[in-house]
Amino acid sequence: MTGIDHRLALERLLASDHAAPNPIDDIEALLKAHHPDYREGSLVSLAVGANRGSECPTALAASLQSNARIEDADLAGAPVVDTEVLIIGGGGAGCAAALTAAEAGGRVILATKLRIGDSNTVMAEGGIQAAVGEDDSIQRHFEDTLRAGHGCADRRLVACLASSAPDSIRWLIDRGMRFDLAEGGAIGGKLLRKKPGGATRARILSFKDYTGLEMMRVLREAVELDERIRLWNRCPLVELLSDEAGHCVGAVLYDLALHRFVLVRASCVILATGGVGRLHLNDFPTSNHYGATADGLVLAYRIGAALRELDSFQYHPTGIAWPSFRLGGLISEAARSAGAHLLNGLGERFVDELAARDVVSAAILRECAEGRGIEREGMVGVFLDIPELERRQPGTLAQRLISLGHLARQCGIDPSREPMMVRPTLHYQNGGVVIDENGTTSVPGLYCTGELSGGIHGRNRMMGNALQEIITFGRRAGLHAARSASRHPAPKVGLFHLQGWRRQLVAAGMPLDRFGPDLFPRYANFDFGDELALRGGKRTTYAPKRARRVE
Amino acid sequence: MQTSQVRITVNGCVIDTEPTRSILEAMIDAGETLIDGVGCMGQGVCGSCRVLVRRQGESEVLSALACETRACEGLQVAFLDHLPMHRHHVYAMDDWNGDSWRILERINATFPEAQHCRHCGGCDSACPKHLQVHKGVMLAAAGDLSAAECFDECIMCDLCTIACPELISPNHLGLYVRRLSTAIGFRPADLVLRLHQIERGEMVIDQDVASTQP
Ligand SMILES: Cc1cc2nc3c(=O)[nH]c(=O)nc-3n(C[C@H](O)[C@H](O)[C@H](O)COP(=O)(O)OP(=O)(O)OC[C@H]3O[C@@H](n4cnc5c(N)ncnc54)[C@H](O)[C@@H]3O)c2cc1C
Ligand code: SF4
Ligand code: SF4
Ligand code: FES
Repeated sequence: MTGIDHRLALERLLASDHAAPNPIDDIEALLKAHHPDYREGSLVSLAVGANRGSECPTALAASLQSNARIEDADLAGAPVVDTEVLIIGGGGAGCAAALTAAEAGGRVILATKLRIGDSNTVMAEGGIQAAVGEDDSIQRHFEDTLRAGHGCADRRLVACLASSAPDSIRWLIDRGMRFDLAEGGAIGGKLLRKKPGGATRARILSFKDYTGLEMMRVLREAVELDERIRLWNRCPLVELLSDEAGHCVGAVLYDLALHRFVLVRASCVILATGGVGRLHLNDFPTSNHYGATADGLVLAYRIGAALRELDSFQYHPTGIAWPSFRLGGLISEAARSAGAHLLNGLGERFVDELAARDVVSAAILRECAEGRGIEREGMVGVFLDIPELERRQPGTLAQRLISLGHLARQCGIDPSREPMMVRPTLHYQNGGVVIDENGTTSVPGLYCTGELSGGIHGRNRMMGNALQEIITFGRRAGLHAARSASRHPAPKVGLFHLQGWRRQLVAAGMPLDRFGPDLFPRYANFDFGDELALRGGKRTTYAPKRARRVE
Repeated sequence: MQTSQVRITVNGCVIDTEPTRSILEAMIDAGETLIDGVGCMGQGVCGSCRVLVRRQGESEVLSALACETRACEGLQVAFLDHLPMHRHHVYAMDDWNGDSWRILERINATFPEAQHCRHCGGCDSACPKHLQVHKGVMLAAAGDLSAAECFDECIMCDLCTIACPELISPNHLGLYVRRLSTAIGFRPADLVLRLHQIERGEMVIDQDVASTQP
C-alpha cells in the first residue's frame, strides 16, 4: 500500500478548507468493499462444534477448532483445590463478578493469566454509558444500542443493560470510582456526559480520558483487599473440567511461576477472559492488551457452548498508523466526539467523523486502498487533525484529551501542532458466547461475562457500552453463581468432553496438532508444549500417543 | 530507509535493535520469551513492565516502564518482578462512615506511617508518570482530601511503594483517600434522580417497540 507523501499531505492539510464531507450514498457497498467483516473471502465455515457451519475469521477458526494440549495423564499429581465459584480473568468483568459473588457469601477464587488488572479494561479511555441525563431515558439507551448493533442484539440483554446501567454506576461510586462533573460539586452536581457516535443523546460518563484506569484501579484494590477472594495471578486457564454429563465442574489452571498444573473443582465457573485482538485477525494491528488471545472463547466452545456473531469484530477507526512502535494503539473516540476532523492526503474530509464506527473504519480503509492515504516511513494512514480542533476550541487538548496528549508525546508529536496519523485497528469482539441475563451459557455450570460473551452489541458496539456491560453482567453472573453454587464439588471431574471433541476433529479431518488456546501472542516466543517438556517429570503429549495408535 | 542499530542489555542479555523500538519490542524481536512484566503493551497504563534503567555514561539508575521507554545505545535494563506483597494497609469501605469529622484519625490509623514521611522525595523520583506523590502524602497526612487529585493519573505500578523508606505505600494511601471520599461524598443529582425514577417504576423499557430508528 502506498500513499501521498507525508510532507506534501501536510501542506495540503494547511491549505484545506475543512469543508463538510460528501455524504456516502451506498453504505452497504462501502462496507462490503472495505470492511473486513463484510468483505468476501476473509471468513471460513466452522467444521466442528456447536456452531458448525457458521462463518468466522480464518485465524479465529483455527483457534476455535484446535485440539486440547493436555490429557488425564498430565493432571496426575496436580494439587486439587475446591471452591464454589471460580472466576477466570482479572479485568473489569472478572473483578465485578468476584466482588459480587463474595458479597453474596460464595467462596471465590479469581485466577488470571497476567496480573490482576492487566486487561483491556484498564486501557479504556472514552467512558461508560448510562442514561442519566434529563433529556435521556433508559428506553433511548435501549433503542440506540439495538440500532447501532444493526438490530441483531438480544433484546432482553440490551434491556437489562440499559435499565441496570444507572445502578451499576452507583455500584462503582460505592466502591470508590469517580466520574467527571459538568457542573456543580460532588454533591448535587451534574455528571459530564459525552455523546457516543450513533447515539441520540449524550450518555457517556467518564473520568478524564482514562475511565478504564480509574475503574480498574478501584476494582483491583477492592479485590485485593477482600479477604474472601483468593487471587491467583499468573495462573492461566488451560482447559475446563467436565463431568460425564458434559457439565462444567471446574478448570485446569497452569501456574506459570511454579510450572505446574492446578485443578480447581468448582460448582460454577465464570469465564471473563476478554477479547481476541492479539490473534491479529486479518493481520490487523490491535489496541488490545497482551493477553487478549481468545482463550476463554476457545475453551467455552470446546466444552460445547454456542457462540453468536463470531464473524463480527470492531475495527476502531482511529488506531495509530505511525510510528510503528505504537501501531494499533488507540486514539479514543473522544477526539472525534470533541470535534476533530479526519482528512486524507488531498486535504479533504471524506466521512462524517461521528458516523457509526464500522462506516468510519471502512471509509478510512477506502482512502488508504485508493491511494489517498498519507505515507510516512512506510506506514499508511489518514490525518486526525487535532491542531485544527485546538484552534477552533482552544483548551480542548488540555481539558478533554489528556491521554491523547500523552500518546502523542509517546509518538514524539506535539499534538497542538502536528496531526496524528491513524488507520483502523482491531479493537473489539462484538459477538461471543451466547448468554442469558445471568451470564449462564448452554453448558450447565459455565458462565460467561464481559467481552467474550455475545448478544449485547449485535454487529456493532457503541462506545461506552462495553464498560457498562462488564459491570452490569459481571455483577449479575457473580450473584447468580454465588446463589446457585453448591458447597459440594462434583464427585467425578475430568476431561470427559475432550473425547467427543477429538472424535469430532478427526471426523472432520481437522489437524490434531494445532493446539489451543494460544495463551500468548505468537511473538511472545512462548510454546506451552516446550514449557511442559522442559519442566521435567513425566509428560505425554497427545500427538505421540496418536502416532502409537496409528502404528 | 536504513535505520541505525543500537545495542542494549536486558537482564544481562545483549540485544541489537532500532532506536524506534521500545524495550519490550526489542525483547520480542530478539526472540526472548515475554509472558510476564507486560500488560497493555505500550499504552503505559497497567504498570506491569517496571524496569530499572541506566543510560550510557550516566551513573544514576532510574525506574521506568519498558513499554514506553525507547531503546538507545548502551541502555542497561533490569526488570523488576512483582513480588507478592503482604498488604498491611487494610480497610473496609465503611471506614469513614459514622463520623466523618474523624477522617484524619482514620487516615492515621489506617496509614500510620504517613506521619513519618522523611520528605526524601524518593517517591517522586521513582514515579514514571512524574506525579506529585510526596505532595499527595503530605496532604493526606494533614487530612486534606484534595490529596486525591495528586493521584489522578496514577497507574498503581507500586514503584513509589518500593521506593519509600518509611513503607508508607503512597499510591495505596492516595487510592484510599480517592475511594473513600468518592464513596461517601459523591452524589450527582442527575444520577440520584434517575435511580429514584427507575426504582419507583416511573421509568421502564418497552422491549417490543417496533422502530429503533431515531
Ligand atoms: C484501548 C481500549 C480502549 C477501550 N475504550 C473503551 C471505552 O472507552 N468504553 C468502553 O465501553 N469500552 C472500551 N473498550 C472496551 C472495553 O475496555 C473492554 O471490552 C472491556 O474492558 C472488557 O472487559 P473484560 O473484563 O471482559 O475483559 P478484559 O478487561 O480484557 O479482562 C480479561 C482478563 O482475562 C485474562 N485472561 C485472558 N486469558 C486468560 C486465561 N487463559 N486464563 C486466565 N485469565 C485470562 C486477561 O489477562 C485479563 O485479565 C476499550 C478497549 C480497549 C482495548
Ligand atoms: S504514584 Fe506510585 S504507583 Fe502511582 S504511578 Fe507514580 S510511582 Fe506508580
Ligand atoms: S518516599 Fe516515602 S518518606 Fe520519602 S518523601 Fe515519599 S512518602 Fe515521604
Ligand atoms: S505494559 Fe502496561 S504499562 Fe507497560
